[in-house]
Amino acid sequence: MLLDPGVIFGQLLGGLSRAMILFLLSSGLSLTFGVMNILNFAHATLWLLGGYITFSIFSYFGEFLGENGWVLVLAIVLGTSIMVGVGYLIERFLIRRMYGRELPEQLLLTFALILIIGDLIKLVWGVEDRSIFLPIEPLEMLDTYVNPYYFVIVATGTAVAAGLWWFLQKTRYGMIVRAAVYSRDMVSALGIRIPLIYAGVFALGIGIAAFAAGVFLPLMPMALGVDIDLIIQCFAVVVIGGFGSILGTFVASVIVGVVYSFSILIWPDGALAVVFLIVIAVLIWRPWGLFGTELRY
Amino acid sequence: MSMKRPHISDHKWEQVLKSMDRREFIVTSAAAGALTMVPRFAQAAVETYRLGLLLPVTGTGANYADGGIKAVMNATAAINAKGGFLGKHPIEVNYRDTHTKPDVAAREARDVISRENVQTIVGTYSSACAMAIQEIIHERKILHLAATSNSSKIVNENFTPYTYQFCPNSKMQSGSVVVAVAEMIKKNGWKTYVTIGQDYEWGRDTQKGFVEALARKSAGTKLKKELWFKLGETEFSSYISAIMASKPDFAYGAIAGKDNRTFIRQAQAMGLFKRVAYPGGLISVTEMQQQRKSLPRGMIGLARCPFFAHLDQPLMQKYIKMHRAKHDAYPTDWACMHYDAIYGLEQAINKTGNIGTEAVKAALKGATMDTCRGKATFRDCNNQLNIPAGYVGSVWDSPDYPFPIFNPDTMIIVKAEEVWTPTCDDVRKLQKKRA
Repeated sequence: MLLDPGVIFGQLLGGLSRAMILFLLSSGLSLTFGVMNILNFAHATLWLLGGYITFSIFSYFGEFLGENGWVLVLAIVLGTSIMVGVGYLIERFLIRRMYGRELPEQLLLTFALILIIGDLIKLVWGVEDRSIFLPIEPLEMLDTYVNPYYFVIVATGTAVAAGLWWFLQKTRYGMIVRAAVYSRDMVSALGIRIPLIYAGVFALGIGIAAFAAGVFLPLMPMALGVDIDLIIQCFAVVVIGGFGSILGTFVASVIVGVVYSFSILIWPDGALAVVFLIVIAVLIWRPWGLFGTELRY
Repeated sequence: MSMKRPHISDHKWEQVLKSMDRREFIVTSAAAGALTMVPRFAQAAVETYRLGLLLPVTGTGANYADGGIKAVMNATAAINAKGGFLGKHPIEVNYRDTHTKPDVAAREARDVISRENVQTIVGTYSSACAMAIQEIIHERKILHLAATSNSSKIVNENFTPYTYQFCPNSKMQSGSVVVAVAEMIKKNGWKTYVTIGQDYEWGRDTQKGFVEALARKSAGTKLKKELWFKLGETEFSSYISAIMASKPDFAYGAIAGKDNRTFIRQAQAMGLFKRVAYPGGLISVTEMQQQRKSLPRGMIGLARCPFFAHLDQPLMQKYIKMHRAKHDAYPTDWACMHYDAIYGLEQAINKTGNIGTEAVKAALKGATMDTCRGKATFRDCNNQLNIPAGYVGSVWDSPDYPFPIFNPDTMIIVKAEEVWTPTCDDVRKLQKKRA
């Protein structure tokens, strides 16, 4: 059974789609910590808020234009834009006051955000979960059925990873961001406004999360509590990949997603344990992560 | 009783569901808060009956609990309009969110008992939450009405005389699915199957009940693989691929709540139902309403208390009318079971003539009462109500409702006595002795 190409393909695609979900969510978390030294525990809750906002925009425009893929694209663009603004405001009024503070204080603030945003979601959208329905027909490939939307997710995740890498490695702004990781004083001495860099990075991280929420809406309902489940997996990914490393986050997401997927096939009861064994191994032998640097650690 | 489809468009129906949630949540929260505060002022004049309502508005059970909260608030409001229990004991509802987590449920149960002095706790939704509070209610001698928490352990291994179960337990539920699946096995010549379930008390217990009952009924059918996923799973593709890779004749799912919705949605888009039969998964009125467009027609599902199966029952008619008047929607299974729990409590109090916990407990013992599902009696040895064990039917578009229901022509309603633990001696062997 394991050598059946259809089986391997099905598990691989399932693993990659899980990987892309983890990557799109973890990349912002990793970036925020890597650049700003802020551990944003509310990252997944902001992802959830982005999902609810995108859902509302989709429902609003869906009424006039019909509920289809193009309306979803429009909703994702608008939802992401709104959340970039929200991210900027959160950084400007809350996170900025946490720079240089101890980790427990950061965790307390971001945990408070989880509670506040959770209650806000209850008041605005209620307690029922929200998702959108797109009539996606399964595709028959290699003697198995697959959800064609998974190709969209894998392509989106890969494109975001490539875009982030290009931004950080090849653009002037990206170079400034990387320089700020190592010496914010030196960057500041060059006349570059560090607060603006930080606000931009934080808003970018939240924007990617909101974008991810919109992309996942046809697959998974947005519901209270999902954020907490996901943030734990994201921390596992970031620990394996190395805080601050986009390449590391991408590789770690693929490792976690694919290992988990094939473990379900071979040893279903131990699938989650296998993932956390990898986390433990990384913490023991390379605590700064596969692609992190000792300097950061 | 004939019920005509309301003349509202698809979009309007969506709006009704959405606005209902937001509005109802705010109203429910405010009402619960007000009910907690107001009777304090009137305490000297009347003896209030304090009710603890423990249900999740977060976590995987939130989309079911919504119906339960509405039903309890509707039922208590109707009773309070008559002056309360016995016309002189207004009900004070103390609501707590369990987050669908046993530790939170236990903490909130202690709090609501110690701080609010509740006499009865209703709700809990998750079986793990129900079992977590059973030790507490037993020790503190508080009544516990398990309206929807249905692990068979609640009334067997973990039995306490203070718990009364108003829903079919997991073994009864699995047994009722087996009745239908055994027929399909005969008809289709199925030989192998795979199970997938939520990795917690209810999922494990339901799957075990199904596997054991099927082994008795159809010994030749082989279980090829068991898949378990954590509560709140968001990505099922690897599990769905693994089911298809096993090439079973059918798959059985012990999945409820939000996870059920996510699983069905993803399984459908991955073509699972084209390749593997999926009979007997939970498809309550909640799923029928929330997934009215996407739910595969013809899929065989299981419900616990679907209103459309008991339109001839006076109490069901009364509750449908009450629920529709308040929420402009049909009640879910979870609403129906919670309504039965509160109405059952009222009947016991009326029977005994006072609100003392021990007297009410004695009145409930072995009692026969009116429910939305017809007259039902508590089994003497474990306080399990003998309401139908399950409603197994195929998803079908009815001209009477804006969402699909089970086709009434083919729906099977399995009696409790057909599938519950056969004798009270067997039940007593399972029950642990508490100090």
